[in-house]
Amino acid sequence: MGIQEQYRSEAAALLSSGEVKLVIGFGAGSTADRRRPLFARTPDEAQKFVLDAACIANLSTYLVTEGLLSDGKKVAVFLKPDGIRSINILISEAQLKPEQVVILGYAIENGKEITPLEGRNISDFSIGEQIRSLTPPPHILQEAERIEEMSATERFEFWKEHFAKCIKCYACRQVCPMCYCRRCIVDVNQPQWVSTSSHTLGNFEWNLVRAFHLAGRCAACGACDRACPVNIPLRLVNYRMGKEVIDAFDYCAGENSNQKPVLASFKQDDPETFIL
Amino acid sequence: MAKIGVFVCHCGENIASKVDTGILVKSLSDHPGVEICQEYKYFCSDPGQETVKRAIREHNLTGVVVAACSPRMHETTFRKACAEAGLNPYMLELANIREQCSWVHSEKDQATSKAIEITRSLVEKVKRNNELKPISVPVTRRALVIGGGIAGIQAALDIAGAGREVVLVEREPSIGGHMSQLSETFPTLDCSQCILTPRMVEAIQHPKITVMTYSEVEEVDGYIGNFTVKIRTKARYVDMSKCTGCGDCIQKCPVKKISNEFELGLSNRTAIYTPFAQAVPNVPVIDKSRCTYFKNGKCKICEKSCQIDAIDFEQQESVETIEFGAIVVATGFQIQDTSVYGEYGYGKYKDVITGLHFERLASASGPTAGKIQRPSDGKEPETVVFIQCAGSRDPSKGVKYCSKICCMYTAKHAMLYAHKHHGSNSKIFYMDIRAAGKGYDEFTRRAIEEDEADYLRGRVSKVFEENGKLIVRGVDTLLGKPVEVAADMVVLATAMTPQPDAKQFAKRIGIGYDEYGFFNEAHLKLRPVETAKAGIYLCGACQSPKDIPDSVSQASAAAAKVLGLFSREQLEREPVVAAVGESTCAGCWGCVYACPYNAIEQKDIRDRNGNLVKQVASVNPGLCQGCGTCVTFCRSNSIDLAGFTEKQIFAEVMAL
Ligand SMILES: Cc1cc2nc3c(=O)[nH]c(=O)nc-3n(C[C@H](O)[C@H](O)[C@H](O)COP(=O)(O)OP(=O)(O)OC[C@H]3O[C@@H](n4cnc5c(N)ncnc54)[C@H](O)[C@@H]3O)c2cc1C
Ligand code: SF4
Ligand code: SF4
Ligand code: SF4
Ligand code: SF4
Repeated sequence: MGIQEQYRSEAAALLSSGEVKLVIGFGAGSTADRRRPLFARTPDEAQKFVLDAACIANLSTYLVTEGLLSDGKKVAVFLKPDGIRSINILISEAQLKPEQVVILGYAIENGKEITPLEGRNISDFSIGEQIRSLTPPPHILQEAERIEEMSATERFEFWKEHFAKCIKCYACRQVCPMCYCRRCIVDVNQPQWVSTSSHTLGNFEWNLVRAFHLAGRCAACGACDRACPVNIPLRLVNYRMGKEVIDAFDYCAGENSNQKPVLASFKQDDPETFIL
Repeated sequence: MAKIGVFVCHCGENIASKVDTGILVKSLSDHPGVEICQEYKYFCSDPGQETVKRAIREHNLTGVVVAACSPRMHETTFRKACAEAGLNPYMLELANIREQCSWVHSEKDQATSKAIEITRSLVEKVKRNNELKPISVPVTRRALVIGGGIAGIQAALDIAGAGREVVLVEREPSIGGHMSQLSETFPTLDCSQCILTPRMVEAIQHPKITVMTYSEVEEVDGYIGNFTVKIRTKARYVDMSKCTGCGDCIQKCPVKKISNEFELGLSNRTAIYTPFAQAVPNVPVIDKSRCTYFKNGKCKICEKSCQIDAIDFEQQESVETIEFGAIVVATGFQIQDTSVYGEYGYGKYKDVITGLHFERLASASGPTAGKIQRPSDGKEPETVVFIQCAGSRDPSKGVKYCSKICCMYTAKHAMLYAHKHHGSNSKIFYMDIRAAGKGYDEFTRRAIEEDEADYLRGRVSKVFEENGKLIVRGVDTLLGKPVEVAADMVVLATAMTPQPDAKQFAKRIGIGYDEYGFFNEAHLKLRPVETAKAGIYLCGACQSPKDIPDSVSQASAAAAKVLGLFSREQLEREPVVAAVGESTCAGCWGCVYACPYNAIEQKDIRDRNGNLVKQVASVNPGLCQGCGTCVTFCRSNSIDLAGFTEKQIFAEVMAL
């Protein structure tokens, strides 16, 4: 039995036994290399799940849909390591209860091979070490280094050029599992901190606010990057912020689910004297 | 419609010399919503305030901006004036054009345009101010005093003397602190124990004072008027309610060779012990780490020797949670570890001792019954060298500050030595003699003139042993010559330092400390006994090096502050508190972690049938200090701070 079949029957079993009320996975997409999320509520529907190298989306984002988990029932979800990492972050920010999530984990090796990941509960996955050493794909890394070498003016021009393209569709926000706020700062209009029209300044405001809001929280899944219709390399921003937080606080988001939000907590033995 | 009054103060020349107040007034008069704009030499003066009040009444003002000094200076003054004129006091804003403008700029036109911007932005803010009412909270009229040295004892006695309950927490088995170790005290040379013991006894017998020894404060929650404090008391293994303090157990204890901490190792004690003869309470403790029974399950000789079964090996440590309205911190000091000065030979030569050792040698209740004998062989020293500033005023190895008491106690030591040993020969190496205080200079003069203390101005470079003598090598800078003194004993005037755990302790209870670990007062000159945390006060050597008179005065001052607070049943608190918008809160608890005052709780939101819909953050207005940390943290912008709402701040910023 192939992995896809194995996972299909596992999903079906979870549903028929009543252990979970819903399985979130992938179904066929509009083209051969695209997959779209599939929400299976019956064992029959579970037979439609697809699991192959095209299943790259981070499905954890659907778990924070308002009301989905408020009945206390369990949901199963197909996740790659970056998705598991976002589960850890969501747990540490009290958006999920660990016991409500059943993980159907898999990894994509060399961009083609699907391998199953052992374990079903978040506590089964000790991904800490792995995540710290996890680097973005080589082409992203190269790009990050290239930007790093630029002068401040060049770098500003680079981002200005990119941000100028933003049409404020907020797809990056919608797709991001960490953007779970019921009301986003951009939707606040009393007062209007971030202007809504998509001129360059307003776009800067939006993209920088989002970068700050994701500092030390990004799971590096790249979903924002892929969602952006005008191809702004958003994950470079978040990658850089993540690096900054690791360097400053030795804190790598999503290593485990017992972390406290880095920018909201402090250590008793912090050497800075300004902390009372 | 907003009707704002703007009042531009000259502050004498303070503002007017750098800001063209005429231009400021003119420019603000034209600003939308400004009903009246006036200038005056001193608005904080009586006629100045009257002008403001009259304008409020005559023009029915809805808001007031006083362009003057920092709100820390006069916000209260003008709030009061507004209230007297019938305007809600929170409809006032102070535009700081002094500290933040005239004082820091030299170009008049630039300062003027900055003053215009500052004032204008506060006009925009005040237009959006809301009427607020002070929050009143009940005051628990019971005080906690932490540290049972002379400072803590004095504070406790003063508060209890005024009829308020006090809990005095001391971590050692007895109260008394360092003063109980001293022999005689400068500048009057009265015996330390004789003046201290009555105070200790008074404290423990006082009906309003509960003394908790062998105890430490573990956690402090809450705020002024309403602290909740967790106190942990270690097991003494002796029942305090039964023990009569007869000491039979101590006589019988077979473990006799434990270095006595109170005597600084100059004598030994047993495993069951009272730290010193006059200890209060006079109830022994068992040193668990040294007791034979606790080590290998056999002994219990003390239990057998106790006639009234007061010994209880089963005793457990206990934790009590008590409510307090105010806290006085009096945790005292330590002396510096002098072994960092290898050149003085401390720790290497037995006869190089600290001033505190000398106190024990000179004390009638000490290990030598008051005879000055050197630790190595018990001989009476013929020549004693005292080294002042052995650690103080030494930025390279010791501490930068002056320990303040050492000049005085060194003079005292030389005197005591002269009184106890005829033909004494004391040499004192010093940098300066700092003897400011009532009767202090006279005291040091007496040491020199009557008791023949020989003062040598200069530093000591080395102390070494030669032919059974301690050779002290230094320079006499007045003569400009190197000197060598062959001494029998060397006494180091060791620096006073904060308690080793002072910084952790400060963090635990939420007060500030300086670079060394001495606790910070709210204002060195004007609020020396208050901390920045309302309701927590300081006294004694935990704030800075101090002698007994200073410690005691500060203790009484702290007690006065506490009693002032306790004079009311209710406390009015600033209504500047945060509130959470429950509809948008995402329940991430970021604010809960971020709040330095633990003022934010989790709250369940349920539907009509009682099913949990979601959990949101909820601010306890009694605990919130209005710092705004949570506001800046919240990503979904769900928290707002009364008096500094987002709308107000936004308007203020946009007006710049
Ligand atoms: C060698 C020497 C000679 C001196 N001679 C004189 C003199 O002649 N005349 C004079 O005026 N002054 C003299 N002094 C200064 C005097 O000792 C101090 O001014 C005085 O002891 C300060 O009192 P205090 O209560 O602030 O501190 P301490 O006496 O240090 O008392 C602090 C108390 O708090 C307790 N404590 C600490 N931390 C905690 C905690 N976390 N919880 C509970 N309890 C705690 C300690 O156990 C201690 O009992 C001398 C000092 C020295 C070192
Ligand atoms: S997805 Fe791209 S275009 Fe859309 S809001 Fe985000 S950055 Fe702007
Ligand atoms: S910011 Fe982008 S890369 Fe980071 S978690 Fe959100 S979607 Fe993924
Ligand atoms: S930080 Fe904001 S969203 Fe998070 S719990 Fe607090 S109020 Fe709610
Ligand atoms: S303003 Fe917010 S963070 Fe500050 S004390 Fe109040 S609740 Fe806590």
